[in-house]
Amino acid sequence: MDRLYTSAAELVDFAAQSYGEKIAFSDVYGEISFADLQTQSRKLATALMEKAETGRMMPVMVYLPKSIKSIVSFMGSMYAQSPFVPMDYAVPMARFISTAKNLCPTAVITDSEGKDRLKEAGIDVTILVYDELIARDADNIKIDRMLNTSTDLDSAYIMYTSGSTGTPKGVTISHRAVLDYAKWLSDTFEITPESIIGMQSAFHFDNCIFDMFATLLTGSKTVIIPEVLFMYPEKLFDFLSEEKISIIFWVPTVMISVANSGILTEKKLDDLKLILFAGEVMPIKQLNQWIESYPDATFVNMYGPTEATDIVLYYVIDRKFSTGETLPIGKPCANMKALILDEDKKLCPKGKQGELYIGGSGISMGYWNAPEITANAFVQNPLNTRYRDRLYRTGDLVYMAEDGNIMFLGRADSQIKLRGNRIELGDIEAAASAMDNIKNCCAMFSQKTEEIFLFLETDSEIVPRKFNMALKKTLPAYMIPQRLVTLNSFPHTPSGKIDRQTLKKQYMEEN
Amino acid sequence: MTVAETISEFIKEKFDIGDDPDFTNDVHLFNEGFVDSFGAVEIIHFVEETYGISITQKDITLFPMNTVNEIAAVVESKQ
Repeated sequence: MDRLYTSAAELVDFAAQSYGEKIAFSDVYGEISFADLQTQSRKLATALMEKAETGRMMPVMVYLPKSIKSIVSFMGSMYAQSPFVPMDYAVPMARFISTAKNLCPTAVITDSEGKDRLKEAGIDVTILVYDELIARDADNIKIDRMLNTSTDLDSAYIMYTSGSTGTPKGVTISHRAVLDYAKWLSDTFEITPESIIGMQSAFHFDNCIFDMFATLLTGSKTVIIPEVLFMYPEKLFDFLSEEKISIIFWVPTVMISVANSGILTEKKLDDLKLILFAGEVMPIKQLNQWIESYPDATFVNMYGPTEATDIVLYYVIDRKFSTGETLPIGKPCANMKALILDEDKKLCPKGKQGELYIGGSGISMGYWNAPEITANAFVQNPLNTRYRDRLYRTGDLVYMAEDGNIMFLGRADSQIKLRGNRIELGDIEAAASAMDNIKNCCAMFSQKTEEIFLFLETDSEIVPRKFNMALKKTLPAYMIPQRLVTLNSFPHTPSGKIDRQTLKKQYMEEN
Repeated sequence: MTVAETISEFIKEKFDIGDDPDFTNDVHLFNEGFVDSFGAVEIIHFVEETYGISITQKDITLFPMNTVNEIAAVVESKQ
């Protein structure tokens, strides 16, 4: 990467030129070389431009199973100047509809099964079937001409996360953010054309940006791990071994379940060299089990909200941690900065707790089509009164240790992280309160047991499994509460609010 | 007992399903909330030990094993 790129799609051209016929990605159905990825993506872009209006304000939803087809669709959308929007193939239709309403997509790329689902749900959007989009030749002259007119501040992708009122928020990320992130990770980690990355992330989570763009820039291969294998840690290890995986970037939940299964001591992955994780707090106990099994591997704790293009802070583990200690989330990546501010928006000295604000090229352009919540979360740097200097307010409470590393303490609001998924408890409450016979409801999270408790005020008999099945019509599976508590009436505080403290004491701490 | 019956009995007992009429040999065990994702491993261990077979990562990747009948079909193909 030696010239100024303005579109992340140009990284596909770079990779095709640099690594050609070498395999770039593989999935359960097959594999694709860098050259073929370029050809297919450009074909898709050409068909897309014929069938729909494309451009930086014309997003393309990608509604496909976890596969190479998703990657071709993402790159093809970017070649056509449209931001790509990865959709969970298992998303409840009600959530698809609320997302599409906010997004106003120019088209959805899907397969025939997805097309049937969307038609059945009566969704009013242009539906394009993947296989038909790559059937014809690419108009490379047109694509190159378009690439020359785009700037790196145009939108590259939009990723939806849980919103506190029940409407998902579309985090809009620029090409510059993706380009800088890709450059940083290829400069920072030892990833070579010989490396093989075992991809855990779903495409609708930002960790996938690492796997995809690390491969494009370094010529490594990314193996898309079939999702079902994460239910079976032993079989997962057989797969990693057979595929000769050397790098993983996973959410801690998956690393924890692997450690707890006992497989770490039973089976050794000879090629594993680099182990990165982000998305939630990694417990020291399981981390140490991994380190004992892979003493020569490099372990890196990373941190970043979707609003910061996956990663903003990182810490290469350089010493032994004992249980009870906190793992630092580290220091900023290149072209990113972190500020810890107190309630008066003053810089916190080392050791003092404050809220983490982040700035730099990786910061999101804002939430798609949602100026109010954008204004709330993306604010002027209070330390800069001279020019526009945007910071993203993370809502995470942190402090800076003596050595300059940032330490994570918790959340300033009711957002939680569960198995790597970011969840607004208000999102669950909005779905539950819309159900029949529910007078009131309140969702809380138990840090101790890592469970979501949903309290329901109702006079009706609730069958938990059936209630959860009904919730699944509007909420993704990872948001379904682990515990349901039904009450005829909620306790209230003197001011008339639900007395959450009492509920917590009575039902969450004693049980 | 058939393979499907044996698996069904194991799941009903292990995961406290009782006589729920929604539980059939064709119901999606995970999506319909009868078994959580951690339970999947226990089901595979059970059939591997009971039938003396090995379910490989390829079996899991290539064949759906979300219902009693689907699991039974994989077991029977290995016997």
